[in-house]
Amino acid sequence: MDPSEVEFLAEKEMVTIISNFSLDKMYLIGGDLGPFNPGLPVNVPLWLALNLKQRQKCRIVPPEWMDVEKLEEIREQERKEETFTPIPNPHYMELTKLLLNHASDNIPKADEIRTLVKDIWDTRVAKLRLSADSFISQLEAHAKLDNLTLMEINTTRTFLLDSLNSMYKLRASLQPQPAAKGHHY
Amino acid sequence: MPAERKLMRYGHSEGHTDVCFEDTGRYIVTCGSDGDVRIWEGLDDDDPKSINVGERAYSLALKDGKLVTALSNNTVQLHTFPEGDPDGILTRFTTSANHVTFNSNGSQIAAASGDFMIKIVEVSDSSHQKTLRGHQAPVLSVAFDPKDEFLASASCDGSVAVWNIEDQVQVISWNVLQKSNDVSNSKSLCRLSWQPISGKLLAVPVDRLVQLYERASWSLVSSLSDDFITQAVNVVAWSPCGKYLAAGSVGGFLTVWDVETEQCIEREKHERGYTVCGICWHPSGGQIAYTDTEGCLGLLDNVTDSSLFASKKDKVVAAKKESKYEDLFDEDDDGHFMDDLSVKPTSGTDDDDDDIMPSAARRQKSGTFDDDDDDDTPIDAALKMDKDVVGLPPAVPAVPQQIYEGPMPTRPQKPFQPGSTPTHLIHRFMVWNSVGIVRGYNDEQDNAIDVEFHDTSIHHAMHLTNSLGHILADLSREAVLLACEGTDELASKLQCLHFSSWDTNKEWIVDLPKDEDVQAVCLGQGWGAAATSARLIRIFSIGGVQKEIFSLPGPIVCMAGHGEQLFIVFHRGTGFDGDQSLGVQLFQLVQKRMQVICGEPLPLSCKSYLSWMGFTAEGTPCYVDSDGVLRMLNRCLGNTWTPVCNTQENCKGKSDHYWVVGVHEIPQQLRCIPCKGSRFPPTLPRPAVVILPFKLPLCQTATEKGSLEEQYWRSLLFHNHFDFQLSSGYEIDEEQRCKGQKEQQELLMKMFALSCKLEREFRCVELAELMTQNVVTLAIRYASRSHRMALAQRLGDLALEKTVAEQEDSEHTGYPGTWKKTRCNQSESECEEVQQLGSYREQEVMQEGCLEEQDEQEQMNIQEIGKPGLNLFNKDISHDTLSPKPSSKDGRVNPFKVSSSKAPATFVPSRMTNILDSMTASCKRSSSGVFSGGKAGKDAILKPLAPRPKSKTQTTLLKISGPKARKKEMEKESTEEEGHASQGASAQHSVNIKPKTGFQLWLEENRSSLLAENPDLEETDIIKEAMGHFRTLTAEDRLSWAERAKGQTGEVPDVKKRARVEDNDDFRNDKESNTKKKKTIDTSKLSAFAFNKN
Repeated sequence: MDPSEVEFLAEKEMVTIISNFSLDKMYLIGGDLGPFNPGLPVNVPLWLALNLKQRQKCRIVPPEWMDVEKLEEIREQERKEETFTPIPNPHYMELTKLLLNHASDNIPKADEIRTLVKDIWDTRVAKLRLSADSFISQLEAHAKLDNLTLMEINTTRTFLLDSLNSMYKLRASLQPQPAAKGHHY
Repeated sequence: MPAERKLMRYGHSEGHTDVCFEDTGRYIVTCGSDGDVRIWEGLDDDDPKSINVGERAYSLALKDGKLVTALSNNTVQLHTFPEGDPDGILTRFTTSANHVTFNSNGSQIAAASGDFMIKIVEVSDSSHQKTLRGHQAPVLSVAFDPKDEFLASASCDGSVAVWNIEDQVQVISWNVLQKSNDVSNSKSLCRLSWQPISGKLLAVPVDRLVQLYERASWSLVSSLSDDFITQAVNVVAWSPCGKYLAAGSVGGFLTVWDVETEQCIEREKHERGYTVCGICWHPSGGQIAYTDTEGCLGLLDNVTDSSLFASKKDKVVAAKKESKYEDLFDEDDDGHFMDDLSVKPTSGTDDDDDDIMPSAARRQKSGTFDDDDDDDTPIDAALKMDKDVVGLPPAVPAVPQQIYEGPMPTRPQKPFQPGSTPTHLIHRFMVWNSVGIVRGYNDEQDNAIDVEFHDTSIHHAMHLTNSLGHILADLSREAVLLACEGTDELASKLQCLHFSSWDTNKEWIVDLPKDEDVQAVCLGQGWGAAATSARLIRIFSIGGVQKEIFSLPGPIVCMAGHGEQLFIVFHRGTGFDGDQSLGVQLFQLVQKRMQVICGEPLPLSCKSYLSWMGFTAEGTPCYVDSDGVLRMLNRCLGNTWTPVCNTQENCKGKSDHYWVVGVHEIPQQLRCIPCKGSRFPPTLPRPAVVILPFKLPLCQTATEKGSLEEQYWRSLLFHNHFDFQLSSGYEIDEEQRCKGQKEQQELLMKMFALSCKLEREFRCVELAELMTQNVVTLAIRYASRSHRMALAQRLGDLALEKTVAEQEDSEHTGYPGTWKKTRCNQSESECEEVQQLGSYREQEVMQEGCLEEQDEQEQMNIQEIGKPGLNLFNKDISHDTLSPKPSSKDGRVNPFKVSSSKAPATFVPSRMTNILDSMTASCKRSSSGVFSGGKAGKDAILKPLAPRPKSKTQTTLLKISGPKARKKEMEKESTEEEGHASQGASAQHSVNIKPKTGFQLWLEENRSSLLAENPDLEETDIIKEAMGHFRTLTAEDRLSWAERAKGQTGEVPDVKKRARVEDNDDFRNDKESNTKKKKTIDTSKLSAFAFNKN
């Protein structure tokens, strides 16, 4: 899966916007949106929010977790724990990137948030790599990883699967010898 | 005498706090671990002045306009009070200072520090520094002897020591406390306190007790205890009279003892059980302010006998006044004067003072006894106290004549703009309303005004420099109105930015006459108004033409405008005991030019003031008081005010508030901004609007009955504006109105069903009286179904009355427009109502049991007839005609929308009518909800209706009013023709919404010939005649006419055909109704019931 595809999925996440126009309810395949009243918060999918934002038709209300204090807490938690901690949004990375790129003026302390989310991401991906490493080095057959987000899985999937495959091939080529040994017995 | 515990409020961030009163008791001053000192003008002050003194403040002391704080940065700092300007550092330690206190005359301070030392410093010049060394651990607290002879201190080494200040030596020390290594680990803060004035006793909190040590002998005289105190006592404070001792404990208990009797006279638990770490008495007693380790501030009122303190308070005031004149006399004169004052009452026999006298006298005596070396007479001693202790109440009671015990006048509230935050703020909202936001900035770099519109299609945002210093603003869809107060040189000005003007001059300024200041402004549609300090209301046109001017009966409080309406609140007089006395005026300005409400009192909650007022988007005046109650004008009940929402009920904390920015009646929305710990929001971060629901404060809304009643009355109240808009010539949204009426009738029906279930038949009839005639028929049906014949009988009578009344109404009403409208609403909504019955009945299914099969069939038929009936005159029954039409801007039909109108058609063949009925009903409802949502934005704009009634009926009502006339004809005809047979009211209704029938077509064609034959016939007679002729035609002919009718109405689905068949049935008027008819014409049973009584 391409990162852009993951991003596409993330665009379905709902965010709150405050529109500056008035519009009736919209009836879309994915569900009804609106009505839009100027000055009143309304929940819309991210893709619409970004579209409206780019046309300067709305102000995006940052999600509740997109707050320096909360993110700091999460970062500390993430650093403290061995395992992956639950993250406030399954698409936190994509949301952060999209919102900060397009609506950084609506998000207080955007730079700090960017750094914090990047920190969290780095910590988690490092953990992921570490666990993959131990998974392989200990020759485990299966492993369970909770609280991973789609984007995180996506970063490692191809590489991990490919490497497992090639390792399998390597091992399989090694295999006959002990098997042959067994035959001898 | 129960003390009144006021609710705690957020004061500082979590952590240690301290509190004290200002000398006069007007201000409460707190400090906290956030390093701020806050000055509260009473507990309810929402905008305390904040002074930042350092990183953390551990303790503060206040006297004579000097504010001393002990800070974490190892210093004791001095600030001026109340300005809060830093006035230097009094002393420094090597670690943080823990406690600081003034001596009795405020010339010195003593500070205790974590470096085991106590320092005493002159406040004026930080000279004469004395250091007391001897404690082996950080010093917890210090206390000056009121006679400035001794100083007591408590330390973490477990000792409480008394020092001779002059010699700087320990006089005595008791090892009574638990040892610890630091203040933070100490179980108790151990704040000591000397008995004021005499200094006879020293109170020391020791674990769960408060020990009292006697001066000079330094022996333990008594221990005050209370069973309720379960953890260590943290702080103690003497009442200013020295009679009571208050203590706050770690467990959050506040206890007050009468020291003489050692009785606990008052105990209060902290509302959350937090540790009390600061406590202090009001200088006139009676009130205790306390703070806890969570940063909250609380107040205990009426702690001791209130009458005692009431008189004392007055005495303090008197004393204060005297002290102002003190400079005029020399000491002796003053003394004699005081002497006279204090002697007089001892000989007085006034009843009021009887209870005060003995205690006061006793205490004076005791004071002299233990002052061995003091040979003053008691009165001299009292005088001395007066001189020494500035601001403390003298022990002598006041002269009786000076006591005023009546109600105290309230300070009248200042004029304000609705939706604005206080003017002293640097960044403030000048107005926030449903149009937009005006922000004012007044910092060093910039004095500017930002205007921003919620809907950018009105106008783009504006940034103005505020060179005139505007402080008032209002915003409408047409203009921004700004106003500033006058100065010595410049007159007060009114500036209007008329951005919607079509010429190039978008701005005008008016100077007010000299010495007249604008105090409130508002904008309506095409006009603006300014209320001035000369108690005038000046009306301007939006383009700047001066118009009406009139006087106000009192000082202005607030003004709001909407459309043609002007809403003014002013002071009618002086309020007493915390209440405001406000009056209200409501004008219709432009066309009608009349005063709707003439200065009647404005109802407010107890001891509250007006905090917001304005109009709903639909134009109903409403206002909010400081208790958070929103009241709305009820035009249907003699312009009374109905509370529709209590915003405070939605708050989490007691010091949280909602700041109202707008009220909408359709949909019912109260738009406001939640403010944590304050009454108004800051400009940054940008606050978010939330929507609160309305709720009438009816009784028992938790029960089904209560909640239905609440919904009904709320719905009624929130649809009142339609009548008003109609009467003042505005276009109204018929659809919404119908929806409202339908909702109300529906609620009535539900209540009816509920009362039926509860066997409350009388109540049922009462409810039926509120229903429209059609719904009453449903009610009758319901009653007869549930075998309540007596009820059905009564309802039948009622229905009859209603019909008669309605007919009379229709004959007498002058404006046919309204009548027609209501009628057509009824007929239109009727079909749905009939369907709804299904859902009511669903509740009753269990009761009903068996006879359902046939009924359900009938139900279904109603639906079948009713549904196409809705859009029969739209010529075709594709869903497009019903789907959201004019509001969808480009007129395109959304292919994805789930069309509600399709639903019934697909349901027709089904027999599961009960469920389907409710389903279609809910579909309907949701679809109309869609309309409401979409219209909401536009509702705010009032659309004046130029040549209203005629054009209206012709355009929007065409499809309904057209058939209307014909319907009437039909009605008459059928009643006459069929006599009182089974086709009753409902049958007629099904007739009246039918398309042209064969007979009608025939009639049209043959009318002229008929007329020629019988020129003298009335209209009804013509039809009668025609009917006769038509019946003489052969069946084939009739059929062909029917075919023609069908061709005219276009392709008609099955349902319609059936309707037509039914038509023909009607006209054929078979005496014995065949079974098919029974099936098709649903209402026979019901209508038979209703009209058999004729």
